[in-house]
Amino acid sequence: MKKNKKMIVGFLAPAVIIFLIVFLYPIVRTIMMSLFKIDSVTDAMENWTFIGLGNYQKLFTTAIFRKAMFNIFRIWSIGGAVVMVLSLLFAVILTSGIRGKKFFRAIIYLPNIVSAVALATMWLQYVYSPKFGLLKTFFDALGLHSLADTPWLDTDHKFWALLFAYCFGMVGYHMLIWMSGIERISPELYEAATIDGANLPQQFRYMTLPLLKGVFKTNITMWSVSSAAFFVWSQLFSSVTANEATIVPVQYMYMHTFGAGNAVTERNAGYGAAIGLILCLCVVLIFTICNKLIRDDDLEF
Amino acid sequence: MAKEKENKVKDKINWKRELKLAPGYIIIILWIIFTFMLLGWIVAASFSTTADIFAGKALKFPTGLHFENYAQAWGSGGVATFFMNSLLYSLTSCALLIIICAPAAYVLARFTFLGNKVIQTSFVSAMGIPITMIVLPLFCVVANMGILNNVAASKVTLIFLYIGINIPYTTIFLLTFFSNLSRTYEEAAAIDGCPPTKTFWKIMFPMAQSGLVTVTIFNFINIWNEYFLSLIFANSNELRPVAVGLYGMLQSMQYTGNWAGMFAAVIIVFLPTFILYLFLSEKIIGGVTGGIKG
Repeated sequence: MKKNKKMIVGFLAPAVIIFLIVFLYPIVRTIMMSLFKIDSVTDAMENWTFIGLGNYQKLFTTAIFRKAMFNIFRIWSIGGAVVMVLSLLFAVILTSGIRGKKFFRAIIYLPNIVSAVALATMWLQYVYSPKFGLLKTFFDALGLHSLADTPWLDTDHKFWALLFAYCFGMVGYHMLIWMSGIERISPELYEAATIDGANLPQQFRYMTLPLLKGVFKTNITMWSVSSAAFFVWSQLFSSVTANEATIVPVQYMYMHTFGAGNAVTERNAGYGAAIGLILCLCVVLIFTICNKLIRDDDLEF
Repeated sequence: MAKEKENKVKDKINWKRELKLAPGYIIIILWIIFTFMLLGWIVAASFSTTADIFAGKALKFPTGLHFENYAQAWGSGGVATFFMNSLLYSLTSCALLIIICAPAAYVLARFTFLGNKVIQTSFVSAMGIPITMIVLPLFCVVANMGILNNVAASKVTLIFLYIGINIPYTTIFLLTFFSNLSRTYEEAAAIDGCPPTKTFWKIMFPMAQSGLVTVTIFNFINIWNEYFLSLIFANSNELRPVAVGLYGMLQSMQYTGNWAGMFAAVIIVFLPTFILYLFLSEKIIGGVTGGIKG
């Protein structure tokens, strides 16, 4: 064992040191920063003014931030429900023994490998285009001309347009997680159920769903993590910072700390840090609730 | 749909069974048609002209195929610089990630020592941390080092950050992989008098090849598409990778009205990961579920 000591240290050191620099130090500092008023991100600590929970207080009384939190909540909950239902549906269909499973699976996952900037552009400039868009062409072909003329990207529709486009890209990833869960369930269980006379919907309701509890937890966690970082879609959908329809917390933080907008007068990096911490706490909260509500240890497979 | 037909010809068809699955086929095929329309139209538009796109004739090519859109986007559009930057960032980071994470993962998987569990737990939790939590102090450090105006130093910084944020995922992925390799190889090597460090590099590292390849493809796609970090740390066109570069181009091309060129740029950005996916989709799909334990 002694002989190995040097090797253990040598092998681990680079990864752990970089990890500490990139994660641990910034996390500690972000928590601290959130309690101060900091005029510029690069200010030295001497110039910070301690204001306790003042940043948080102020954030939650700011209408634009509340709107951003409300938007991200809607993306998490409504988008989450849509993505979970669709991805589970696709996973069940693909594992039901249909032909071309690998091909279908690969195509449905495809949007996940595309740069979000490219994907969002496809939706913005093509699908929702009022001149030559897919939706316009489609509804025109069906004769639904009033629907075809809907301005999908105006303030009223923009948020839903964004949510829909985002969900389209995320379904494939969650479908893969569901599929790996379903494929781990022993086929013998289904054979036994079939012999006992259970039909397919019954098998799904009473066997597949309960056995997928743990996988559901994984899915919710992954979805929450990606929702917390939600940013690029929002930025692409409203490049004008004054448009609040699709604003999300990360975008607000970016505007605030890196001063990308004219809408912001006061600069305070402590604000940005507080937003980061709030998002992180949301993820932790969701994770804790999931762990409390869903116990997967009562079922072994 | 053609694919489905092809498959049906191959084996004997149990029509009764297929009919039962028909609703499933319909749902999946509709979704896939939509995906193809979305991608297909963009490809078509990138070979078309702005005038034809606006006339709704992007799929008809009344004036033939316009390859010059690509030349324009690549050259004067500036995609070439972004593309080369991304290539540099992705390839260097991927290689270094393997060199740093594979030994760490191996040690964590094979040896019991004080702190092993702590490191593993920290890495797993780090995967759930929003990047907003860490970006401000990092920016502060980098800015205070006064290197934001130096191109070479900024490139090194970006690579360092890409490595940093991908260390937890890469290590945990490889850790699971190494745990599944048999211990008998190390035992045999030890009996033959091979020192543990040499055993790792000469025997275990090459044996882990398939895991290393999977995680590298995954890292490559992640770093290629990375947006938030590069938006903050790459503050000039010379530094920008494709995602941020494309964003800037989109803004300007909408004003210049070169829509065909814009779609060509989108395709160029999309192409490298797509080609990887075309050949290695099985490995990539395995990589998604491999790192996650349900």
